[in-house]
Amino acid sequence: FNTSVSEPLAPLGSVSILADSRCISTGVDLMTSLRHRHSATVHVCSLDGSYFIVSNRMAVERHSQSDLAAVQNRKRLAERMSSLQRLFERICLIVERDRSKPGDASRPFQRTRFYDSTIAGLVRTGVHLLWSDGAEESAGLLADIARLEQRKGHAITVPLEVKGQHREQALQLYLGLPSVNYAHALNMSHNFKSIAQLINSSVEAIQKGGCMNQSRAEEIYRALRYSCDSFFLNTSKAGKNS
Amino acid sequence: MAAAALPPFGHIFIGEKWRQSPLVSSLKGGGVKLLFESELGVADFHLANKTCILYVSECDIVAANSYKRKLVLFRNASSSFQKLVLVENTRLSEQYFSTVQKFVMFDLGLPLLPVGGQAEASQLITQMVLGDGRDNPFRRTASSRMLDPAVLAVVQQVPGVGRIKALALLQRFCSIQRLCNAAPPELEPIVGQATAQQIHNFFHKPTAAGT
Repeated sequence: FNTSVSEPLAPLGSVSILADSRCISTGVDLMTSLRHRHSATVHVCSLDGSYFIVSNRMAVERHSQSDLAAVQNRKRLAERMSSLQRLFERICLIVERDRSKPGDASRPFQRTRFYDSTIAGLVRTGVHLLWSDGAEESAGLLADIARLEQRKGHAITVPLEVKGQHREQALQLYLGLPSVNYAHALNMSHNFKSIAQLINSSVEAIQKGGCMNQSRAEEIYRALRYSCDSFFLNTSKAGKNS
Repeated sequence: MAAAALPPFGHIFIGEKWRQSPLVSSLKGGGVKLLFESELGVADFHLANKTCILYVSECDIVAANSYKRKLVLFRNASSSFQKLVLVENTRLSEQYFSTVQKFVMFDLGLPLLPVGGQAEASQLITQMVLGDGRDNPFRRTASSRMLDPAVLAVVQQVPGVGRIKALALLQRFCSIQRLCNAAPPELEPIVGQATAQQIHNFFHKPTAAGT
């Protein structure tokens, strides 16, 4: 039983979505549409990048077509993808058509060889690509993916917030563990009686309480028992490693 | 069935029906070598990197020309290839695009790439064929990160524990688990009485009712 009944739980049939705070500035329309047209429960929090979490295992990023076509963005995009791949089993990119400014003679997007090779590379790595005409359609797609993940049993089912300073501090500690995404950390905050209970749990219990796969749970189990190297500690103390 | 065989690098297997098409001439122009093949099943192209592609044309979509059946057959065909669907998204077919996308992605779970027509499709396929020898910047890399700094950072999340105290605690207790299970009197010599109690409380105080 959960004592935190006062915390907002997604109403039945609704889906839970976490959004990084940076998603607001670029997507007020999208957020409004998610909440009102698609009755999703959206909680804004601070993630390590501008993305959405639609289930315990899936992150979604939104990019404009011209974003993907720009040569100077390739390196950053590759880094983003690999950091998301550490935290999530599935990654989805919503590719949005660029909005033409009113009065602007709309120039059709010109595909370049570079753009095609970016797309081909992403597909080859197993990144899911979804195509959208604008914010409104992207909101619909986000809600659809979240619903699909819910049907497959991967929905975030715990409340999207933690209340109180101590729980907030525990959440931050969980986020520092290797390969733990915000949804896993939330699950752990709500499903373990105390931090000590998590720390002393078996791999199976971590897997169940964190709603994650076995290899991730094993990684956490190992990190909690990992003995720091005294050479590392000494050099850190001397300030050489900071 | 040729499906088991792979075309050599730089080549693709392409269905017979594509002979004389604009796509074929622009693939040739792009330097892709074509091997016509009548045994590809529903698929239109097989690439050397084990990708098989189904092409859904504007005409298929607008005429609702049993393209859904073709897609289902494509999805169900047993194959070790990565399946990919190219969909013509043109002025004529764009009103149907979101329906097609939902069917392909959400119902069938296949990746979909829109193309403006055969010319764009051939450019994309050319990149897939010729670009494949180059390094994919998005390939997954096995990350073997040092655990020591991560463990140190986690210990610093304990209220009242900064970098200096975290290092001293780890020197004595080595791991997060041993630190968590240390009794306040064991912590006291390192961080003092008040912080020792604070650390112990932090780990053991209830965060949730649990199950």
